[in-house]
Amino acid sequence: MSNTEHPSAPPMTFAERHASQIRQVRLYAHMFRGSFSSMLGLALVIAFLFLAAFGPWIVPYPEDTLGAVHMGSRLLPPSAEHWFGTDEMGADIFSRVIVGARTSLWIGIVITGLGALVGVPLGIIAGYKGGWVRACIMRVTELFLAVPGLALALAIVASLGPGLTNCMVALAIVWWPGYVRLVEAKTLAVKEELFVESARSIGARTPWILWHHILPNCLSPIIVKMSMDMGMAILAAAGLGFIGLGAPPPAPEWGAMVSVARSYMPDWWWYSFFPGAAIFLTVLGFNLLGDGLRDILDPRSHTR
Amino acid sequence: MLSFTLRKLLTVAGTMLGIAVLTFVITNIAPGDPARLVAGPNATEDMVETIRSEYGLDRPIVEQFVIYMKDLMTGDFGTSIVSTRPVLDELLRYAPATIELVLVAMLLGIVVGVPLGMLSAVYKDGPIDHVTRILSISGVALPAFWFGILMQLYFSVELGWLPVSGRLPLVARPPDMVTGSLLIDSLISGNFKTFNSALSYIILPAIVLSFPCLASILRVNRAEMIEVLQSDYIVAARAHGISSRRIVAIYALKNALLPTLAMIGLRFGWMLGSTVLVETVFDWPGIGLYAVSSALASDFKPVIGVTLLIGFLFIIANTLVDLAYAWIDPRLRRA
Amino acid sequence: MFSSIRNIALAGLVASTALVAPAHAFERTDEGNVIVFGGRQAIPVLDPHIRYDWSTRMIQQGVYDALVKYEGDPAEVKPWLAESWETSEDGMTWTFHLVKNAKFHNGDPVTAEAVRYSFERGLKLNKGVAWMLKDFLAPEGITAVDDYTVKFDLKAPYAPFLSFLPWWFVVNPEQVKANEVDGDYGQKWLTDHEAGSGPFTLGRWEPNVLYEVTSVEDYWKGWPQGENRPAGVIYRMIREPAAQKAALQRGEADIVEGLTSDDYVQIAKVPNIVIEDHKGMTTFGIKFNTQKGPTADINLRKAIAYAMDYDAMVAIYNGAASLETSPLPDAMKGHIEVEGMPRQDLEKAKEYLAKSDYPEGGLTLDYVHVAGLEEARRIGLVLLDNLKALNIEVNIRPEQWPNMVAAGADVETTPNMTSIYATPISTDPDAVAYQYHKNSWGQYYGIAHYDNPEVSKMIDEARAATDWDTRANLYARIQKQIVADQPEVFGMLQNRRWARQDYLQGFTFSPVRFTGEVDLYPLWIKED
Repeated sequence: MSNTEHPSAPPMTFAERHASQIRQVRLYAHMFRGSFSSMLGLALVIAFLFLAAFGPWIVPYPEDTLGAVHMGSRLLPPSAEHWFGTDEMGADIFSRVIVGARTSLWIGIVITGLGALVGVPLGIIAGYKGGWVRACIMRVTELFLAVPGLALALAIVASLGPGLTNCMVALAIVWWPGYVRLVEAKTLAVKEELFVESARSIGARTPWILWHHILPNCLSPIIVKMSMDMGMAILAAAGLGFIGLGAPPPAPEWGAMVSVARSYMPDWWWYSFFPGAAIFLTVLGFNLLGDGLRDILDPRSHTR
Repeated sequence: MLSFTLRKLLTVAGTMLGIAVLTFVITNIAPGDPARLVAGPNATEDMVETIRSEYGLDRPIVEQFVIYMKDLMTGDFGTSIVSTRPVLDELLRYAPATIELVLVAMLLGIVVGVPLGMLSAVYKDGPIDHVTRILSISGVALPAFWFGILMQLYFSVELGWLPVSGRLPLVARPPDMVTGSLLIDSLISGNFKTFNSALSYIILPAIVLSFPCLASILRVNRAEMIEVLQSDYIVAARAHGISSRRIVAIYALKNALLPTLAMIGLRFGWMLGSTVLVETVFDWPGIGLYAVSSALASDFKPVIGVTLLIGFLFIIANTLVDLAYAWIDPRLRRA
Repeated sequence: MFSSIRNIALAGLVASTALVAPAHAFERTDEGNVIVFGGRQAIPVLDPHIRYDWSTRMIQQGVYDALVKYEGDPAEVKPWLAESWETSEDGMTWTFHLVKNAKFHNGDPVTAEAVRYSFERGLKLNKGVAWMLKDFLAPEGITAVDDYTVKFDLKAPYAPFLSFLPWWFVVNPEQVKANEVDGDYGQKWLTDHEAGSGPFTLGRWEPNVLYEVTSVEDYWKGWPQGENRPAGVIYRMIREPAAQKAALQRGEADIVEGLTSDDYVQIAKVPNIVIEDHKGMTTFGIKFNTQKGPTADINLRKAIAYAMDYDAMVAIYNGAASLETSPLPDAMKGHIEVEGMPRQDLEKAKEYLAKSDYPEGGLTLDYVHVAGLEEARRIGLVLLDNLKALNIEVNIRPEQWPNMVAAGADVETTPNMTSIYATPISTDPDAVAYQYHKNSWGQYYGIAHYDNPEVSKMIDEARAATDWDTRANLYARIQKQIVADQPEVFGMLQNRRWARQDYLQGFTFSPVRFTGEVDLYPLWIKED
């Protein structure tokens, strides 16, 4: 901590100043590498991010992801030309699945991002302030937590109308309470710690304490949760897409693809198999990654 | 303990009220026009108006809200505009199917999850542990709708072992309704044939639904077991030469079971809300399907009703878990 | 230990599989064979004067009778409860003579008073079927002359009058009144009960699961299949096309209605399964907002119409569709093949575009379709692909039906393009022509907000004219003018398709029925 630094000590290099953190990170990395499932998760996530970043440039039929129609080559089985076969409009499923990673990444980032953006500050305030502020915030949070998420999201989207934006808004609305509860509990624990007490006693202002002490100490569970939530948000959005409330055509969205493709079972199995598998692998990747991170950063939280 | 229970009940009532307000507001952000849907495609404007006024949809939204809340206090959940029936009747009709499905799925989750959790705790960091971990996380990551379709394809269409969808064969007369659960009711009436076929219909959806629940049961059980296995008395028991199989099966499991049960309680409400997709895929006539079809028709009273019901069951489950903990550990009663 | 567990599990599996082993196809009960119809749409309210979507009307037609009935392809109005009728010279008065032997399921005779009450009920409730007649018929205009004669005095001559009557079912006033609550005309009770005289009566009624009708042994009109009359029909909800197909293949259903186009092609190859494939009357059009926005420009509308790949539309249905040659469907009286109906021609499309306010394109148009309608979505994709050639972008927007209709009721909020399937309720050309009347603004089929005073005037004249030649002449002119004004991209008529087991006999097709709707009355099962 900063108050342990000696004022007269000679200026230190970055490595020296952060020696303990670096050691920590090295330890984490070592532990992480030792876990097969964590590495698998990391690999899946990296592959997903790569496809999301470069998808449109590496797919064989980029125009198929924008709604090109080839009525002559409908529902072809997987082959050398079409690795994952073609869909009911003759579009290349491989291209659409890959570019779909982008849509999914976007969905995941927006939902978890919005969720954390709303939930974390509320959680910190609730935990730190206490009193009626905490009571109010936590009541509302519990209220949202008691409502079944998917059912609520469904109602919201049905009310607002289908579409990707509405879908993300709906899921963000049901997503933030999880962060409030997590951060509030953590804040409650941290604010009793000695270093927070001492900061307060030397007259540090509340925002400064929140920013420099509380937030950093809540960071690891937040990171773990966000990693897990990326996957779960993608899954939930795919579920809404499946019901028919997700991205409109021709945007390649995995849930919507499975939704259309389910009518083509079982004779044209590849149509639903590959987008579904893409959802599965992506969510699996984020969950394994989050799980691995949790083992390292937040080992005690495992029970709950 | 009594005052603690009372306080909890008050909170439940407050939360229910909150949910009602919340869902009403949400479903009315940009309400569709269900009256037009049920009036039929060719209906004239005055015909649509007839239906609107019949259901009070022509009144200001605040007034609609007040009326709804008043009715709610008397146990009236409003009327579905699509089916013209009271929402409460329909909830009572569809809820047993969902609850049955969830219970069977949970049972599956426990039967598979607890032993797997034990195994991976005993062989912590071994290959079994890694495999179960990947399996359990896979369970959470599986899109239920997709997995359900794959199961249907393989077990129903390909192998022909299990029925594709529905709850009972067509000519099978459902047993007299006692609990609403076909499995239990058919057992009560001693109709094993119906029991068997009801079982064959519920297997696939229950398996699909059980996966996420299985995963969380497994993980809680594993974590608890690890903790218990490292505790002093287990170490002492080992020192006394009690066989390690016995230790794991009896002493450790007993202590790890309570948190697992708590987890299951918490999971119950969550699963009720997540049956939506599974019910859609398997044509399971429960409240999830009811909520989806109502939401798609902008018929929001049933949606609010379903949300309230699930929220209620969820809170009840949570409260029971809290009470159980408080009963065991009096220190928690002050919280 | 493990082996015993495995044995138990296996035994359980074997036990359960033995039970569901697919089996005989139709369901055999003690009373006879029960036909199983697999459909996607629920029947929330059975009351014949409240609702009439296809699944509802299929059952209504089973349990109720009307004065007349549509049968055959092309559809004709056949005498039913009414054995004969006559019209007055001025077309204002219609008199129907009822058969004497018709009786309701509870034994009451079907009298003129029952008919009068039923029409009054339909008009006064002002729901469901009311729109068909309410502008021309007041409850006071109906009189029971004697027990078996009923007279309708219209407010104005209305040529299509008779064509609507098959959808006005007759209920038993005694039963309805006995079950009235707070003067609701028995609405609550008729939701899941019936008071009819039709060939079937209600059996099990499990909303959202299955709806059963059982046949009436001594149906007053007899049974065309005689002794082979089925014990009943179960309409079973199977929401997923894949599940429908599986149910058909496994013999859990005898006839299904909702397969995908590709499925029909595929399943036709399965032995013992027959595809019913008939030319329908449901028109598909991409309706422009002709009043507001870029599509108010007729040249742009023409450009889009010429850019459209019509063959792809038919290909979407795997060939089970035919292109519209007029705004009126082929099976409709008075239909003519309009010359110069646009077909894909990029040269022409570009010519028209050059004449429009957007010679270079460069605009984005909304295309709205009902969420969940697969074919409409795909036609949107075809449109999107085709309009790239004109440098026009298409924004495909699925909407829930009520929201789409609500937006389309007002010129200001009507999207540029909306895909509309419209099934005419009768075989009279007025049923379609009136969609292009200015009075149809605000209705889903009037979403184009088409306004040509001359066309509106001709439609009014044709409605009132009693002489068919005059009407035919008017409808020919109406059709030509509408095509010239291009308020929509005239699409195709999709075929009506069902897949059934080959032993299911007595299937009859009539284009005036809704998509999916089947006449249950003549069906039977041929056993080997």
